[in-house]
Amino acid sequence: MTDAPIRSRLDSDTVRNALLHVFLYGLAFLMAVPYLYTISRSFQPNELLRDPRPYWIPPLVGEPVTLEHYQYLVNNTLVVEWTINTFVIAGGATILIVVIDSMIAFSLTRLDWPGQGAILGLILASFMVPYYMNIVPLYQIVSDLGLINSYWGVILPAAASPLGVFLLYQFFKDIPEEYEEAARLDGFSTFQVYTRIILPLAKPILSALALFMFVYNWNAFLWPLLVLSEQTAYTLPIGLVNLYQGNIDTPGLHMAVAILGSLPLFIVYLLFQGQLVRAVQMQGATG
Amino acid sequence: MGLTERFTGGADTTKRKTVAGFRKETIEGIVWSLPYLAVFAVFLVWPALRGLYMSLHTYPNKFDLSQTEWVGLQNYVELFNDPVFYNAMEGTFLFVAISVPLLVILGLVMALGVNKNVAGKRTLRAIYFSPYVLTVAVVTLVWVQMYSTSFGLINYYLGFIMENPPGWLTSTNLVMPALAFMTVWWLVGFNFVIFLAARQSIPDWLYEAAQLDGAHGWRAFKDITLPQMRNSVVFVVMVQFILQFQVFAQPYVMTQGGPKDSSDTLVYYLYRSAFSQQEFGYGAAMGYVLVAILIVIAIINFKVIGDSND
Repeated sequence: MTDAPIRSRLDSDTVRNALLHVFLYGLAFLMAVPYLYTISRSFQPNELLRDPRPYWIPPLVGEPVTLEHYQYLVNNTLVVEWTINTFVIAGGATILIVVIDSMIAFSLTRLDWPGQGAILGLILASFMVPYYMNIVPLYQIVSDLGLINSYWGVILPAAASPLGVFLLYQFFKDIPEEYEEAARLDGFSTFQVYTRIILPLAKPILSALALFMFVYNWNAFLWPLLVLSEQTAYTLPIGLVNLYQGNIDTPGLHMAVAILGSLPLFIVYLLFQGQLVRAVQMQGATG
Repeated sequence: MGLTERFTGGADTTKRKTVAGFRKETIEGIVWSLPYLAVFAVFLVWPALRGLYMSLHTYPNKFDLSQTEWVGLQNYVELFNDPVFYNAMEGTFLFVAISVPLLVILGLVMALGVNKNVAGKRTLRAIYFSPYVLTVAVVTLVWVQMYSTSFGLINYYLGFIMENPPGWLTSTNLVMPALAFMTVWWLVGFNFVIFLAARQSIPDWLYEAAQLDGAHGWRAFKDITLPQMRNSVVFVVMVQFILQFQVFAQPYVMTQGGPKDSSDTLVYYLYRSAFSQQEFGYGAAMGYVLVAILIVIAIINFKVIGDSND
C-alpha cells in the first residue's frame, strides 16, 4: 500500500523525462531539417527541382540522383580557387593571431614594464568599438596601403581583433610564477621561458583560440566582400553569394554550392568539436 | 630619485642589466608587445580616429580621396533628417527585438534541458551547435530556398494545413521575422554552449540544500539557477545585442532591403552609402552614430539586467 504514491511519482518522473527527450530530439530534428533539405536538393536532377517535394535521405528506390550540379560547379566556376583563397586567408590570419596575441599576452603578464596597464586598458576598451563602425575609414587605409585584392588586406585587419589578447591574458596571468622563476634560475632567456614554459602550458587554450579564429575568419563576410573585388581573389562566402545573386531559380546549384562551401568547415567541426565549443565557452566565462 | 631609478623602479637596478638607462625587461616588454600593437594601431585605432575626421568632411571627387572639404557637422545633421536612416533604424530595432529574446531564451531552455538526465548529450550538443560554424553566405543561400514560395520546403508543408501559405520574403510584415527566425537557427548554438557551461558549473549541493528547504522546480530555477548564471546571461545578452544590431548579410543577400525597404538595416544602409554611392563622409558619420546607439543600449542593458538581483 505504502509504495503506491512512490510508484505514481516515479511514473510522472518517467513521463516528464520522456517528454523532455521528445522536446530535445524534436528540436534537434527541426534544426537538422535545413541540412537534410540542402543535401537532398543538391542531388536532384534539374527537371525535378520545380517540384517542392524533398527527397528522403537516402533517396527511395527509383528516385533519380545526379551529380550534375557538383560537376558544373567544379568545371565552370572558380569554387576550387575560392576554397584555396579562403584556406590561405583563414589559416594565415589564425597563425598571425596566435603568434602576436600570445606574444603580447606574455609581455603583459610575465614581464614588468611601465605603461603596460594603460596598454591593456586601451585594448580592452577597443572591445567597445563595433567592427562595422570602422569599415569606411579602414577601407581607405587598406586602400592607401595598396592591399585591395590582396590576402593581407583581409588578414591584417582580422589580426587587430582584441579577443585573443584578452583570452590569453586571462589564462597567462594565472600561470604560477614559480615555474618561471625556476626556469630563470636555470638560465632561461625570456624567449626560452615563452617557448618552453608558457606555450606548452597554454596549449589547450591556444588550440581552442586557433580553431575559433580559423572558423571565424573562414566565415567572414562583409570585410572580404569589400576588399576582394576580383573574382579570382574571392573567398568562398563571397564567391557563393556572387554565384547566387540573380538566379534564384536554380535551387540544385545553390544547394550544391552551399554543401561545397560548408564541407571543409564541417569536417573541421566534426574533428575538433570539443575545442571549438571550449573556445566559445571561454568567452562566456571571462566576459 | 634619479632618472634611471625612475625607469627601473629603484630597487631593481641591481638585479637587471640596463641598456641606455632602460631596464632590459622594459625593452623586452615593448619588443614582445610591438607586433600586435602595430597591427592594433594601424587597423583598429587609426581607423577609429580617421573615421571622426572623415565624418566631418565631404569628398567632392569620388575617385580622388585626397581631396577633402571641411563641412563640420553637416553629415550628422543630414543623417538626422534622412528618412532612409530612420527606416533602416526601425528595421534594425525590429530585427533585434525579435531575434535577441529568442536567441537568449531558446539557448537557455536548450542548455537547461540538455543538462538534465538525457541520453545522447553529445549528439544533441553537436547538432545544436553545428549551424554556428556555417558562413552567413551558406545560411542565406539555404534559407532563400527554404522560404521560396514556389518550391520552398516550408510552404510545401504549410500547404497541407492552410490555403495560401504566405510569401515570407515578399511580405512587408513577415520579412523581418523571417530573417530573424533563420538567424536564431544559425546562432542559437553559441548561446546554448555558453549557458550549458554556466549551468554545469553550479555545484549540486546548492540544489540539494534548496530541496531540503522544499524549493524545487520553478523556485529552484528562480533562486539558484538564474542568479548563479547571471554573468553568462548578461554576457550573452550584450553580445547578441551588439551582433544582431549589426545585421547586414541577411538583407544584403536575401532581400536587398525589400520589399518596399521593409528589411533595410543600419549597417546595410551604411554599406550602400559608403560603397555604392561613395558618400564616404556620410558613411563614416553613420558609423559613429551606430557606436553611440550601441553604447546607450549597453548602458540600458547593464541597468536593467546587471543590477536587478542585488
